[in-house]
Amino acid sequence: MCGIVGFFDKSGEPAPVGAAVLAMLSALGCRGPDSAGIALWGKEADGVVVRVKPGEGTDTEARRREIVRRVGRLGRVRVSTTQGSLLRLVVAKAEPAELALAIEAVAPDVEVVSMGRRLEIVKQVGAPRSLEAQFAVSKIAASHGLGHTRLSTESRVDLSHSQPFWAHSVPDLAVVHNGHITNYHHLRRLYEQEGVRFYTENDSEVIGVYLARKLRAGASLGEALRDSVSELDGAFSYLAATSDAFGFAKDPFCLKPLIVAETDGAVAVANEEIALAAGLPKGYQAREAGAGAVGLWDRPAAAPQPRPRRGCKAA
Amino acid sequence: MKIVDCTSRSVREINEAIRRLVDAGEPEMLVRNPGARHNLAVAVLKDVAITIDGPVGYYAGGMSDGVRLTIQGSAGWGVAECMLSGTVVVDGNAGNGAAASIRGGTVVVRGDAAARAGIAMKGGLLVIGGDTGYMTGFMMQRGRIIVCGNAGPALADSMYEGIVFVGGEIAELGNDAVISEASPEELAEIGATLTGYRLKGPGSFRKVVSGRKLWNYDKKEIDIWKAAF
Repeated sequence: MCGIVGFFDKSGEPAPVGAAVLAMLSALGCRGPDSAGIALWGKEADGVVVRVKPGEGTDTEARRREIVRRVGRLGRVRVSTTQGSLLRLVVAKAEPAELALAIEAVAPDVEVVSMGRRLEIVKQVGAPRSLEAQFAVSKIAASHGLGHTRLSTESRVDLSHSQPFWAHSVPDLAVVHNGHITNYHHLRRLYEQEGVRFYTENDSEVIGVYLARKLRAGASLGEALRDSVSELDGAFSYLAATSDAFGFAKDPFCLKPLIVAETDGAVAVANEEIALAAGLPKGYQAREAGAGAVGLWDRPAAAPQPRPRRGCKAA
Repeated sequence: MKIVDCTSRSVREINEAIRRLVDAGEPEMLVRNPGARHNLAVAVLKDVAITIDGPVGYYAGGMSDGVRLTIQGSAGWGVAECMLSGTVVVDGNAGNGAAASIRGGTVVVRGDAAARAGIAMKGGLLVIGGDTGYMTGFMMQRGRIIVCGNAGPALADSMYEGIVFVGGEIAELGNDAVISEASPEELAEIGATLTGYRLKGPGSFRKVVSGRKLWNYDKKEIDIWKAAF
């Protein structure tokens, strides 16, 4: 059992979504106290925002300096800070794939936890309430966000195995999942033959890899979600989002709960309505998503940028 | 009317407060601020009217015998599960497994029901004002389900006995579920039931019952069984 939540503000503009997702996730804390994390799509940064796990039991400050030194060769490091268990960098004029490779080359236990122009993932071992202490998530403004609270059943409990998962290789794409992907080993072997690196033994990780491949091949998030209902196997409810779209998919046997509520201003999705009650004002209509259901909401077209885009070239 | 407020109380404390009022012979009570929490008003074994003024989580009104429960909001999984007698009315939508395994009584969902509504029902009546999801009436053994709207795929799959009436479209019948003719008496009874709960149904209903082919093992099916195992 895990808890997943998602909140999408229909304005498409930064809103107090950090606070909404945290409130929803805290209400679902009883579904899994092992680890918790939140992904938020905030204001577009002036460069690529990177969240990095600096490694376990190491000198974080030394790691940070080494990462900044290497990243400095690829682009301009505008921000580099340590926040809770993660480093946060904003790097301008850098290519995301190169950036990820350079950072992870520092040491085998260094991992890029999230990357994108708007996406930021914070996660940790422990219950949702400590996310606020470490990362002050309630202060983060975003157009949409995802949250996850984990009860580990099949793989270890550490920062890497906690969710949300950034879908390595596609900036700004992240996933939270409740359930089991039973063709995980099959898909993983297939993808590994193609050179995909897996960072964990958590079956949920394969969903991000799956969606990333679809998106790189030109599919929209909605198309990828729809395909996944028949191509992923098992009992699952998951949420996925990019910078511009937010959606969910549910297995064809409807074995995992997922409750959806849509109001004039927002969409809230969670395993249990107790989380919707914590994130939405009263008067919403809650509905269980059906067997094999897919939901998708596109962010309204962003207002014209005051200055030309620069830095991030990846899709 | 006595009020039980759920705010800053554990589910156990809420149910104990309800139980105390029931044991004291209180005929009706209002449960406020439920916040979609699980297991509210379970195992109430007396004829008592309980209104919950908001959404509830899983198993609300479950294992009850005689309760008249009104939920002024939506309900999560397994609402009224294993109920023996009484009435549970959900003003909103219900999650998976509404009225699962009930042996008697009536469950009314004014909105839509999700997957496996009325699974393994052993008696009683489930009324759904809107649509119902995948595998409604799965392995039903007795009782009736009335669906005013559309039914999802695998309707009444592998049912032993019982009846499912559907007013709207049926996406797909389940294994061994067959359509049969509803009698005028049955249709009149449906009409009366819906009127009793202030629900508006369509003019006609289709009746789905067990084809009884799965009741007994058929030697001709040995190859199918072999393949399955």
